[in-house]
Amino acid sequence: MRRTLLVLTAVLAALSLSLPGAHAERKLRVVATIPDLKSLTEAVGGDLVEVDSLTRGTQNFHEAEVRPSMMLKLRRADALIENGVELDTWADVAVTGANNANIIRGSAGRIEISRGIQLLEVPTTRVDRSMGDVHPLGNPHFSLDPGLAPIITQNIVDGLSRLAPDNRPAFEKNRQAFLQKLDGEMDRWTKLMEPVRGGKVVVYHPDFIYLLTRFGLVQVGTLEDRPGIPPSPQHLVQIIRQMKAEQVKVILVEPWNDLKLAERVAAEVGGAKALVMANSVGAVKGADNYIAAIDYNLKTLAQVLK
Amino acid sequence: MRVLALIFITLCTALTPAIAAAQDAAELRRQIEQLQKQLQSVTDRLQRLEAQPPPTPTPAAAPGAAPPPPGAPPPSAIDLARPRQPFSLYQQRGSGQLLFDMGIAGDFVGNITQRNVARAGGGTFAGQENRFFPREVELSLFGQIDPYASAVVRIEAGEEGRGQETGVTLAEAYLTLLTLPFGTQARLGQVRNRFGWSNEVHEHDLPWVDRPNVMRNFLGREGLQEKGVELTLVPDLPFYIEALAGIFNETAFGRGTLQHPLVTGRLRTFFELGDEHAIQLGMSVASGQTDDRNRSTILGWEWRYKYRPDGWLHPLITLTGEALYSLRKADVGVDLDGDGTIDQVDKRQRNHWGWYTGLEVQPFRRWAGGVRYDWSQYPINPGWEWAIEPYVSFWPSEFLRFRLAYKHTDRSPQTRDAFNLNDSSARKVDELLFQASFILGAHPAHPF
Repeated sequence: MRRTLLVLTAVLAALSLSLPGAHAERKLRVVATIPDLKSLTEAVGGDLVEVDSLTRGTQNFHEAEVRPSMMLKLRRADALIENGVELDTWADVAVTGANNANIIRGSAGRIEISRGIQLLEVPTTRVDRSMGDVHPLGNPHFSLDPGLAPIITQNIVDGLSRLAPDNRPAFEKNRQAFLQKLDGEMDRWTKLMEPVRGGKVVVYHPDFIYLLTRFGLVQVGTLEDRPGIPPSPQHLVQIIRQMKAEQVKVILVEPWNDLKLAERVAAEVGGAKALVMANSVGAVKGADNYIAAIDYNLKTLAQVLK
Repeated sequence: MRVLALIFITLCTALTPAIAAAQDAAELRRQIEQLQKQLQSVTDRLQRLEAQPPPTPTPAAAPGAAPPPPGAPPPSAIDLARPRQPFSLYQQRGSGQLLFDMGIAGDFVGNITQRNVARAGGGTFAGQENRFFPREVELSLFGQIDPYASAVVRIEAGEEGRGQETGVTLAEAYLTLLTLPFGTQARLGQVRNRFGWSNEVHEHDLPWVDRPNVMRNFLGREGLQEKGVELTLVPDLPFYIEALAGIFNETAFGRGTLQHPLVTGRLRTFFELGDEHAIQLGMSVASGQTDDRNRSTILGWEWRYKYRPDGWLHPLITLTGEALYSLRKADVGVDLDGDGTIDQVDKRQRNHWGWYTGLEVQPFRRWAGGVRYDWSQYPINPGWEWAIEPYVSFWPSEFLRFRLAYKHTDRSPQTRDAFNLNDSSARKVDELLFQASFILGAHPAHPF
């Protein structure tokens, strides 16, 4: 009898330790839709958060496949950080399958980081699908523009502080430290890009417009016929002609797009290069965090455009 | 004196405008400086505002609005039952925009087959042989009802048969309660039952032109669509598992009331083998009563595997399959004395089954090819059929798809009577199938 009681007590003790809330200082479980936001949340949240990402840097975020593994990550999440502006609408399907009320749309745990961002390429005319996979709200690929990091991180701090108000000072301190570091890098990047200011590039998909605009580079065209529509031969002929006329020497390609096609176009132009860029954290080797991804892109651009 | 007065008057006349002009210039300078200061002040303010994100709107918090911080004691049952105030509703909705999404999916199919098959009505689209017709044009409306629930309404129009008017039906209409506690969620209304993998997939989203034979034989041409409640549970475990239980007025099996309901269940799990390989496995059950008050139970097993090389926009290989096993009691007349008349009706067990598996290879973004093999007995009648269906799909864009398939069906000799109408036989069927599908407007992402 005594042994049974002992076993029961041990089991109850083990159970109580494993129950949520047993650890007074449990970390916030945060899931980000894309790796850029994971990296920024890690910078802001520090030791107070555990962050996971629903996608990898090598994926096309427009067409992420909703897998039950996403639902598993979301099942236990306290917060979901999403890009918004229709980049990651698939997250709704994953959230619905996760049965987690903490992160449904409208709840405190749903954090959208596009709030306050001045979007580029906002259509000023009526849009429809004949224009391809257009975004009526504007270009959603703003997360790797270092100039927008203060707004994005502020949104993250505000969102996390809703869930853990006592930790706001710590989040804010982390944010300031991160922004200070980023400022230092920004000075270096500005000097690095100064000699190639006004340089012209062609992109496969309009993923880099914010970064290019920030550092004074000019996007003269896209390989895609229209956003999300694979290039037609006629369009390629036109873009080759344009690259020759404007002496464009570089095509920026995302890891998930057709590098071989871009290389063929570059060869046809003559003297041009097709380069795989870090359109996201983790997209290429060496772009393992937010600063490293921007650094990779700017070093690559500075080298090829000089 | 007169000269002095004249000089004074001349000077006054000459200098007055100059003094006035000088005063005007000074005034203008002052005004310009003032405007410059105002402009500078506005510019500084604008720069300050631009440098900071806009303040987060914090609506007045109702009691219990904020979720508990981590580490707080778990909420009591009363806390969970209390309505929770949302922090904020969806931000992207501006004035003049709908508060829900709307989309149309169109699905047109055509088929060419032998004349005898058409006369016997034994083709894949029975009664619609050698025709091109709108199978399903679907209007979908979906979105959040409020912070606690979402809703989906799908209205379908399609041609049911040769020479018939295009019928409009309510395909689905349900609400999902999203904020239930303990990892649960409830779906109420008219639904495509989550029985197996393909039953809940709409016609235009299927990876084939037609539903697999076994699904049509055991669940009906349209699949299992019922009115009732489904409850799902996703427990907080280190691996993914979803348990589902449902209760419906069953119409597919026969009786159609909650006194003799259709009860359904499903267990689904998922594994990832690295980033590139993923497997989903599941098993389902549906049990109800037939018109003649006999118990009918269908068990289902499903599997789906995808290989998606890193960085690809689409899977290279997809393998899908399902198997159904039907346990059904049927009334059978028995002639005890051999006089040719039925002396009594016995209840006999009729256990039949079937399966299908399909392989699809998509080497290019716009092109995919695959093949499906079907083998199925019939739920009540004796006999079986097998079919093979190779196909090729082409997507000009994400929103438009064309598909061409060839299907050969072979039915066993016992089924001769069932597919022998109008003095024609549909025992061996060869069909050329064509499908054109489009999406207009919003369409939710497809689950795995």
